[in-house]
Amino acid sequence: MATSAVAQEIVFALRQKIARIEGTLPERLARPAGTPSAEETMVLRRHGVTVVQDLLLTGAENFDTALGGGLPKAALTEIHGAQTRDAGAVAGFALALAGLLVKNAAQPKLPVLWIGTHEIFREAGFPYAPGLHARFGIAPENLMIVEAPKLADAMWIAEEAASLKALSAVILEIRGNPHKLDLVATRRLHHRAQDSGRPVFLLRQAAQPEPTAAPVRLVVSPAPAALRWTITGPLPDSIGPPGFAVRIDKSRNALPGQFTLEWNADERSFEERRPDGLGSKNNGAVVSAPFHRTDIAPAAGAVLAFKPATDAAAPRHQPSRKEHAAHRRPRRAG
Amino acid sequence: MGIADARAMHPGIEIVEADTQADRRLLESLADWCDRYTPLVALDGQDGLFLDITGCAHLFGGEKSMLDDMLSRFFHQGFDVRAGLASTPGAAWAAARFCATSVVSPGEEKKTMAPLPLAALRLAPETVASLESVGLRTTGAILQAPRAPLARRFGKALLMRLDQALGHLEEAVSPRLPVAPLSVERHLSEPIMQMDEIERLVLLLARSLKADLERRGEGARALQLLLFRVDGAVSRIGVGTSRPLREPGLIGKLFHERLAALEDVLDAGYGFDLVRLSVLATAPFEMDQTDFTGDVSGSDEDLALFVDRVSARQDSNAVLKPVPVESHIPERAVSFVPFAETGKASGHAGNRVGETALARPSPGPERPIRLFPQPEQVEVMAAEVPDGPPARFRWRRALYEVARAEGPERISPEWWRDGADEATRDYFRIEDADGRRYWLFRQGFYGTTQGNPRWFLQGLFA
Repeated sequence: MATSAVAQEIVFALRQKIARIEGTLPERLARPAGTPSAEETMVLRRHGVTVVQDLLLTGAENFDTALGGGLPKAALTEIHGAQTRDAGAVAGFALALAGLLVKNAAQPKLPVLWIGTHEIFREAGFPYAPGLHARFGIAPENLMIVEAPKLADAMWIAEEAASLKALSAVILEIRGNPHKLDLVATRRLHHRAQDSGRPVFLLRQAAQPEPTAAPVRLVVSPAPAALRWTITGPLPDSIGPPGFAVRIDKSRNALPGQFTLEWNADERSFEERRPDGLGSKNNGAVVSAPFHRTDIAPAAGAVLAFKPATDAAAPRHQPSRKEHAAHRRPRRAG
Repeated sequence: MGIADARAMHPGIEIVEADTQADRRLLESLADWCDRYTPLVALDGQDGLFLDITGCAHLFGGEKSMLDDMLSRFFHQGFDVRAGLASTPGAAWAAARFCATSVVSPGEEKKTMAPLPLAALRLAPETVASLESVGLRTTGAILQAPRAPLARRFGKALLMRLDQALGHLEEAVSPRLPVAPLSVERHLSEPIMQMDEIERLVLLLARSLKADLERRGEGARALQLLLFRVDGAVSRIGVGTSRPLREPGLIGKLFHERLAALEDVLDAGYGFDLVRLSVLATAPFEMDQTDFTGDVSGSDEDLALFVDRVSARQDSNAVLKPVPVESHIPERAVSFVPFAETGKASGHAGNRVGETALARPSPGPERPIRLFPQPEQVEVMAAEVPDGPPARFRWRRALYEVARAEGPERISPEWWRDGADEATRDYFRIEDADGRRYWLFRQGFYGTTQGNPRWFLQGLFA
């Protein structure tokens, strides 16, 4: 049943009032009663039309909540890195999001398109398929790479790709703050992503935040990895699952926040860094042992099922220390 | 005559060194231009062209008017051209060079050739000299002489040339370009210059091409647009497709991108007066079944069209797909193939053997997500000798403190490709104080090679 525009206006005004009272954002209150998966959708009012928006759940609950339920799927998302040398972490974060999309997608698996300028691929390295497959579950046949000679070409390709439904995600990676990538250009990207319902991740290495049409901007920097968890406990001096320090820099319905996320390659989901600083327990990647290894044999003793012998549990047939070696007791003269 | 003699006679003479390469290029561009008359154009020596106009003459109103048209166009381009037209290449060659009448009608080769000198038979100079020494000075004289002694004395080549000229022996003109299986063209009385006019014409041509492709049950895999400029220059613009194509609209889109990319390069000059669209390669066209709503499930097509448009805009290998290669050396473990080629190999993604085998990544040693094609040398200030990770290193003039390191992972060189003296690499995963993770390797060992082994940074981890 279509409600009249006047009624909708009243509902909207009321919603804003409630939001002000509750200290939250009106968009978050706007959940339609009829949608079954109210958790994964968000309602946005655009041109007076109520739009139900798909959200991508990252798996880290606090992060999702701070974003207002998750990252919008049909949108342009900016992911910034402060320096070019952070390119590994920034690209890793975007690819992890793409990996989430690929994991959640139904068959057939749609490819991920990674567009980069010649400059950035030269500066920060070319995508390496074996690593992406093992870490993010993006198989080589599901990866398409375009190396554009210039920024204008990259933008054009990204615009064309953003309107395709045959891709699961588009990653556009550029460097710095070029003039061409202004509000208009990003709005075009955003609208095409909205129409096709596929996310566009705009990776900006070594860039300053500037006004764009992207509803969400995240600033990603690398975080020291947690220790690798083995069956005997944390392995000292090891480099565990990758950590990302993610700051929500701009979002229409999120409050700014800083999170340390970890990517769990086995579950293929994000996790928030545990307070004890240890990595997720199930990462079974084979590594050569760290160089500064201490002999892990003593540590192994700590978790054996047998309790080490103590005074109290000493077997009866052996003399306890007090009974033992009576001749060592100091003799009393006398 | 030497240069000195020439200068003595005409002091103001301008001397330009012969440039055979440039001459060759000019001849080839002329051959390109002659494509407007026939697709079968062959180069003949330094200064000649063979055009096989079998079945083409009627398009230009007969042989005579075709020849006149050709000569007048060459004249207006500033070339002094002589032409001969005959049923055999040999006779035409002779007619162009030694006859006043340029058209030799069929059956009159003998009569035309008889009074011509021996050079008209395309013989080697020594053969001509020795024939003249025995008094045979014209082709007619040879025709009257008995064949057997001629063959015995002057070799088979003489009689072969004679027979070729007279049509007793077939002579094939080998065209310099393969003939397109299909092509449509339009002659324009008024030359066009604007890009959008060209695009509209491409659409028109593609529409007439569609009927032919449908009749053959094929689609185009490679298309070429030939633009003949009024002053003789010919531009060839090719596009490839990743799946057989016959829709005029899609073909038009591809050429739109290609022409947009070439806008600066393509010089329309005084305009193009002939536009031809050729199909260079075809493939069987699979009809897509529509569902009840009349929609074709089009995601594959969309993707293929996207790739084609990007390839048309950039160059042919713009969209790449990684393909795993059996190699331990990290930079060799992946090769990139153009998307179009992978699409050809598998019509339907999903039921390939390789895909199921790679569905789960194999748990192996960790690999970076970005790799530098050329490992970048880093300066290592302090490393634990003999086989430890560095304590700090300098990469791109910035100093990095190593906080943690994992490794080494030893990767031996591929002796069957690089030879036995390629150094072994020891790889380390390294995390710096800020949490960035790198992939470094040491090439060689401490102590064994002269000097210290070199360190390289090859990749970045997430």
